[in-house]
Parts: sequence; C-alpha cells; structure tokens
Amino acid sequence: MSELPVLLGLLFVAVAATATVLVRDPVRQSFLLSVLGLALALLFLLLHAPDVALSQLAVGSALTPLMVLLSVRKVRRRARDERREEQA
Amino acid sequence: MNGWTAAGTALLVCGALPAGWGVATGPVRRRVVAQNAMTTLLSLVFLLLAQGFVRTAYQDTALVLAVLGPAGTLLYVRLLADRLAAGPPLSRPLSAVTPLNYVAVAVVVVPLAVVTDPGRALVKLLVIGVLLVLGSGVAGRAVAVAVDAGHGPRGHI
Repeated sequence: MSELPVLLGLLFVAVAATATVLVRDPVRQSFLLSVLGLALALLFLLLHAPDVALSQLAVGSALTPLMVLLSVRKVRRRARDERREEQA
Repeated sequence: MNGWTAAGTALLVCGALPAGWGVATGPVRRRVVAQNAMTTLLSLVFLLLAQGFVRTAYQDTALVLAVLGPAGTLLYVRLLADRLAAGPPLSRPLSAVTPLNYVAVAVVVVPLAVVTDPGRALVKLLVIGVLLVLGSGVAGRAVAVAVDAGHGPRGHI
C-alpha cells in the first residue's frame, strides 16, 4: 500500500512518455512534453529527490515548451516567406 | 502511508491525472485551461506529500511550480494566440475551471495551515497558497482575453 504513490508516478511517466513519442504534431507534442516534465517531477519527489524535482520543474514546465513553440513559429514563418518569394 | 500522503495520492488520481488527460487531448483552448489546472493541482499534491513525508523542505517544489506553472500557461497563450482566437467562445465547463482551482487551493491549504506550527513553514505555506490563487487567476484571465480577442467585447472569467 505504501508503494502505491510511486507506482502511480511510474505509470504516469510511462503513459506520458509513450504519448509524447506517438503524437506527431509539434504543437500538441509541446503540451505532452510539459505533462511529461510535471510527471517526472512528481516521480522524483515521490522517490525523495526534491532537488532533482526542482530542476526538472524548471526545465520541463516552461523552458522545453518555449523552445518547441518558438522553433515551430520560426520554421512556419520561414516556410511562408519562401512560398511568397516563389509566387512573386 | 499516512493520511496526508493518501490525500495527496487521491488528489493526484482525481484531479491532476484527469487534468493531464485534458492537456493531452482535445482542442488547444481546452489544453491551455487544463494545463493551468494541472499545474495548480500538482502543486497542491506536492504540498500534501511534503506534509505526508514530514519534510517541510519539499514545499520548495510546490513554490517553484506555483511560479512556473502560470508562466507556462501565459507562454502558451502568447505563442498560440491565433489558434485560441480562432474558435468559438469558452464553453461553460471551461470557464468554471478557474473557480474550481480556487476551491481546491482553499480546501488543501487551510487544513495544512491549521496543522502547521506558526513560523517560517506557515508563512511559506501561505505564500504558496496566495501565489497559486493569483497565478491561476492571472492565467485564467489571460486565456479568456485571448479567446475573446476573436469575438469582440464579452464578460470575462
């Protein structure tokens, strides 16, 4: 019974990680990545590693989605510009 | 496993995991609202676990999440503004999520504050509670404004 939270955390991480890999659209993937980051932080806390959980939170909840979304934005903008140049 | 850990696990199963499902599926507006709810609820889970493990230092994770969670939501609102404005106005269940967050914060933080001895830990707990309410409110309002941007003036959450 005392292992239940850790088992739940492990299951949560496994499901979130699998879903992140299976989703193909980068924007949706960024949402799943943030869920995965939060799940990992929870698991680290349950395994009594709050320092690791802190760094995971800092990276996973805000930084990774920011990187992914900014990259998507830049790639889309470049694709649009190239299309416009071809038309001109 | 004591009562606090059990309460944290229950909140995880009944609150944070369904919110996680909401983040993983559905239209962008629901994902952003669910992301806000998930970070708030997970922060409360961290608080309950810290009390359950009798380690006040574990509250730091909840504090960091209370600051970074709304920041993440605002980031999504800023970078996905065009997608948020494209659809219909927020449905009633989605508008109810932010008040539900307030209720959850009150339900968890008040009992924790009652059992915590007066001192630094109590101050930290109350600061985390205030940050959670403020963060959830600001992020919820930002989502409502972004969604309404495509529909002209309307009442906000």
